Amino acid sequence: MSYQGLVTRTIAFAVDAALINVIALVVGVGVGLALSVLSIPHDLEVVLLAIGGAAFVVWTVSYFAVFWSTTGQTPGNRLMRIRVCGENDGAAPSLRRSLLRFGALLLAALPLFAGFLTVLVDDRRRGLHDMLAGTVVVGV
Amino acid sequence: MRWTAPATAAVSVALRAERGVRRTVGRRAEDAALATLDAVLASRVGAEAVDRVLASELASRTLGKVLEGPLVEAVARDVVRYGVLERLADSVLDSPAAERVLVRVLDSKLLDEAVRRLLEGDELWLVVDEVAQSPAVTEAITRQSVGFADQVAGGVRGRSRNADAWLERAARHALRRPPAGPPPETR
Repeated sequence: MSYQGLVTRTIAFAVDAALINVIALVVGVGVGLALSVLSIPHDLEVVLLAIGGAAFVVWTVSYFAVFWSTTGQTPGNRLMRIRVCGENDGAAPSLRRSLLRFGALLLAALPLFAGFLTVLVDDRRRGLHDMLAGTVVVGV
Repeated sequence: MRWTAPATAAVSVALRAERGVRRTVGRRAEDAALATLDAVLASRVGAEAVDRVLASELASRTLGKVLEGPLVEAVARDVVRYGVLERLADSVLDSPAAERVLVRVLDSKLLDEAVRRLLEGDELWLVVDEVAQSPAVTEAITRQSVGFADQVAGGVRGRSRNADAWLERAARHALRRPPAGPPPETR
């Protein structure tokens, strides 16, 4: 098994992002249609939008955290035959570590994705989020 | 016993003579009968006689009795037992005549007309629907689709790994770092 590079991981992430958005879109359209038959006050609409946004964030975080902490593979990872695991034990990261990794992922993306560039030069192909969470991405 | 020897010899001679006469007469009688039969068959009377027999009530009744009786089953059993139908089919299908008939059928308008009527009718589409919805076909399509998707994903995986290597070489070159050795492996 070998450490996986930036392009492979980006494709896997793109597949996951597409999946997350498609499911969120379907659910959002369904809920929107259901609410459209009700006459909702404007203030309540704002609240519902905020709840929807929060639900989307929870859904996204849960998606990654649950997949990483259970099998180490999101559907995108499975497609690309890669897996997230602890750098020392090779096991799937715990839920806490998965949540930490997701937070670090956002942190790595903030400076114009510069946090991911370390994958290109690190011997174990680790991004900033991998270094912070103590994980690596390996081939299956 | 010596006094009976002439009598025994006489009886033996008589028996031999009798057998010879019987054989000769029998052969002559057979030849005569066959010649008579040939003559009858060759004559107008023979043909007329056969026609009359076949047209008679007796022939009809006989045929009815034969068809009613166990002979038909016995014939069918023997036809199956000796593979008569298979032999017949082999002979017919291997013959040039069968090939000619097939070519004529394919060239004729009959086939086009049959296909046209088949396509116009609902029965064909009912059959197609039944076949398309059968578990065997749906399973085969699913397997084929999964195989195709797996093939596409395999292609993407191969290309992405090449792109990984290329990108890392370029990054290391830009940063003036020594190129990575063989792909790094886990423990």
